[in-house]
Amino acid sequence: MSDESKIDQSMGDSAPIVNPAAPPLTQSVARVKSSSRLFSTLEGVFHEEVFFLILSVFIGIFSGLAVVCFRLAIDWMHLALLGPLPETHSWRLFVVPSLAGLVVAVLVMRVFPGVRGSGVNQTKSALYIFNGFIPFRTAVGKFICAALAIGSGQSLGPEDPSLQIGASIASALGRQLEISREKLRLMAPVGAAAGLAAAFNAPISAVLFVIEEVIGRWSAGILGSVVLSAVSSVVIVRSFLGSEPLFRIPVTTFKRPSELIAYAVLGIVGGFASVMFAKSIGYLRPRLKALPRWTQYLQPALAGFLVGLIGFLGAPQIMGAGYGAMDEAMHGQYAWKFLAILAVLKILATTVSFVSGTPGGMFAPTLFIGAMLGGAVGDIERILFPHLTGSTGTYVLVGMGVLFAGFLRVPMTSVFMVLEVSGNYEIIVPVIVANTCSYVVSRSLQSIPIFDMLTRQDGLILPSLEEEREEAILRVEDAMLPVPATILSAQDYVDANAHRVQDSTDSVFLVRMHPSGWNAVSRDQLQRLFREGKGELTLASVLPAQSLPSLYPDLPLDSALRYVNDYLIIPVVNRADLHRLEGIVSRESVFQKYGARSPRQ
Amino acid sequence: MSRTLPKLIPRSAPVILLMLTLAAAVSFAGVSHLVTRYNLNQQARGRKLYALGLAAANAARYDEAIAAFRAALSCEPTNSQYQLSLARALRDSNDPRRLDEAESYLIALWQRSPQDAAVNLALARVAAHRGSIEDATRYYHNAMYGAWSSDPDANRNRSRIELIEFLLRKNAHAQADSELIALAAALPPDPNAHLQAAQLFEKAPDYSGALKQFQEVLHLDPLNAAALAGAGAAAYQSGNYTIAQRYLRSAVSANPGDAESRRLLASTEEIVRANPFHTHISDAERNRRITAAFFQAEDRLTHCAQQAGVDLKNADKPTASPLRGLQARWLLAEPELKLLRSPAETDLPDAIMDVVFQIEQQTALICGPPQGLDAALLLISQKREAASQ
Repeated sequence: MSDESKIDQSMGDSAPIVNPAAPPLTQSVARVKSSSRLFSTLEGVFHEEVFFLILSVFIGIFSGLAVVCFRLAIDWMHLALLGPLPETHSWRLFVVPSLAGLVVAVLVMRVFPGVRGSGVNQTKSALYIFNGFIPFRTAVGKFICAALAIGSGQSLGPEDPSLQIGASIASALGRQLEISREKLRLMAPVGAAAGLAAAFNAPISAVLFVIEEVIGRWSAGILGSVVLSAVSSVVIVRSFLGSEPLFRIPVTTFKRPSELIAYAVLGIVGGFASVMFAKSIGYLRPRLKALPRWTQYLQPALAGFLVGLIGFLGAPQIMGAGYGAMDEAMHGQYAWKFLAILAVLKILATTVSFVSGTPGGMFAPTLFIGAMLGGAVGDIERILFPHLTGSTGTYVLVGMGVLFAGFLRVPMTSVFMVLEVSGNYEIIVPVIVANTCSYVVSRSLQSIPIFDMLTRQDGLILPSLEEEREEAILRVEDAMLPVPATILSAQDYVDANAHRVQDSTDSVFLVRMHPSGWNAVSRDQLQRLFREGKGELTLASVLPAQSLPSLYPDLPLDSALRYVNDYLIIPVVNRADLHRLEGIVSRESVFQKYGARSPRQ
Repeated sequence: MSRTLPKLIPRSAPVILLMLTLAAAVSFAGVSHLVTRYNLNQQARGRKLYALGLAAANAARYDEAIAAFRAALSCEPTNSQYQLSLARALRDSNDPRRLDEAESYLIALWQRSPQDAAVNLALARVAAHRGSIEDATRYYHNAMYGAWSSDPDANRNRSRIELIEFLLRKNAHAQADSELIALAAALPPDPNAHLQAAQLFEKAPDYSGALKQFQEVLHLDPLNAAALAGAGAAAYQSGNYTIAQRYLRSAVSANPGDAESRRLLASTEEIVRANPFHTHISDAERNRRITAAFFQAEDRLTHCAQQAGVDLKNADKPTASPLRGLQARWLLAEPELKLLRSPAETDLPDAIMDVVFQIEQQTALICGPPQGLDAALLLISQKREAASQ
């Protein structure tokens, strides 16, 4: 088995990732040497940062081109398999997804083991575990399998696969160009942003999603590359497929602040729906994966059959990504009862499609569920309170953001996604209110976000922005001790200072240097100097010239760790007045705050 | 992407960038080719679906048409014709829920080409469906002054006619009238166009305008039976009884089965015979007509009083009825009939006829519409009253 196939297997969500990809690590180490050779030839022309930025543009171009082909492939599959006209009660509706599911299962099990699921967590794994390595075969496999699955009507979306295709192309390009391991690691999110931006035709949302979900932390170093790749991929997609938005946005209005209550209610309902959706996936996925291996050949087919059956029985809107139905819902084409039914059926259909291991994404289904739920809740609210002025389209749009915030748990992306898709900033306040409610409800009922849950089910623990946001950060002020009662002056004589410390119980004293800076002296040092007959010398003349480092109260406590082994005490000074002492930290006070004993104790 | 690409080219950044640019250009060209071929296939498919949609729409099978147009649009999402047809089908499906979607398609098209008359006309029709006079008028005007792909004059007139019909339905007669005047000024020398305009004038109701249009038709097509009947009716309604008589006679002779024209002709002839204010009659004839009208009024008053249970002969009965007052006025005027021949009594004909008209008007209110000569006298009174106002 080749290195690539090993990674393929370990990176697919068919099996837990137990081998943290030793081969790519070794390859990367080897390439670090060759990359230094490469960049040595670039001296004076391009340094690596500039080269990486330019490379990001090319990643965007290639990803954009790939996504264009991917979208054509889905459309072509759909036309070829299900026909151009939507048909209800046609046998094709359940036969086609079932047969396509069988083919997809064989491909996934035999040829492309790394392409199961959405692709977001696989890309994140590549960043944090596999040094940016995503086999190119993953892109090929994802392209074929997801196009077949979505085109045949499985209730999945093309966005997450596009993200993974972009990441895979970026990773392959980075490896081919032998860039440094550090940069190679960052290639995956750069490509992911390009793929997602191309699929959504929304560069800002793609950038934010990649930062919130894939990278999992704010990193100024990569932001430029991510933005460049996202923008260039969107330019490519628009040049081929036009700049038409995903939906035709109707007139959306927000007139009275009191209507925010209605949107808050939508947010709360959306939060519960998000939890239901996430919990059903979280419950079923490990159980289906635990079934005998041969059943995994049948699971996508059964999922396809179930989805097709729903379509056959009168709700073909839930098949595929469902953008057409979202568009119709946005223009008030469905009654609230049907909207509610579609939301519930889509949760069911997407859950079975996703947990069966069929390659495909959850972005579009999330938007679909949110749109239908938003429309249903909005219509009900307007029946109960006819004075509400928001149109169905407004509630549908807000609903999309609500599910995005609650289910995918990307609050910033959810807000910008709605704004970018609608091009209407008038509804920003309802979107923020509703998304916040949804996020809070979802967060309180389901502590782990969906993508984290999926990676944990695969045996991985990856960082997330949500964790980082809520992590309590220890600061210097938390370990700071009060200003000591005895502060010595470097201008005073040694004997005067020795006299001053006689009544103190401290063993180490802070010395104020002239004209600025701080130093420290111990009681033993002072007594020794006095014994050595240096009592009539100033303290400044006998102490080492190098001053103590100083800290500020707001710095993370980690910054104190660098000094605590070399200095007994460290002054903490005011940022506005460096002469003003706020307190001190000692090794003991720092370690005490971390809950550990000082190593020297 | 092969991991063992032969490293024949020195790996410097410019070379790498050049290679990437070449690769991007080649990929771009490849995808362009693919997309072009795909789009051509889609366009062909879209055309077929569009034809299906058109056939369904023409047969008023709007659900089927909408599905086909949607499918056609999925093949060619930016095709304005498909969008317009879908919007029209959505609008014509008589489902108010679909108006929003239709409007959204049309507004998108309008934003792309605000001068497109067809789009403006479709938007005007949506606004008309919603009953918004302001929006409908604006879009209809945009359509009239917009760019038509073919036959702009006819299309402009058709748009204006549609606007007029909408305004008439909404009882906005003043706006409709001004549109009619503009329409009349722009009509081609086509009898049918003038005939349609005349009928709209009649609905307005502007019978003088209608008469002019019917006369235009007759100028172009002198034997047009509909125009003869219309002109007669319009002249009759506008009180030009002599003209009405002429047209109505021609209409009845051109189309003997035209009962309405025959009825109007009978009424017109009665009026012409009875009208004492006719300019081309002698004094003797005028006096004869006044006298006949005066005694006809008395008959009408007597019959109406009987019908209403008012005893005009017994003046002691304290019945408060306007008919008694009329009888008193009639009795007061009767002796003056003898003075009609006197040249000094120039105001007397008017004074006597005022009594006649008051009797005809009051009895029409109390006893219902009259027949024969009474009906003629009532119409003359109404026409005279309108003229004096």
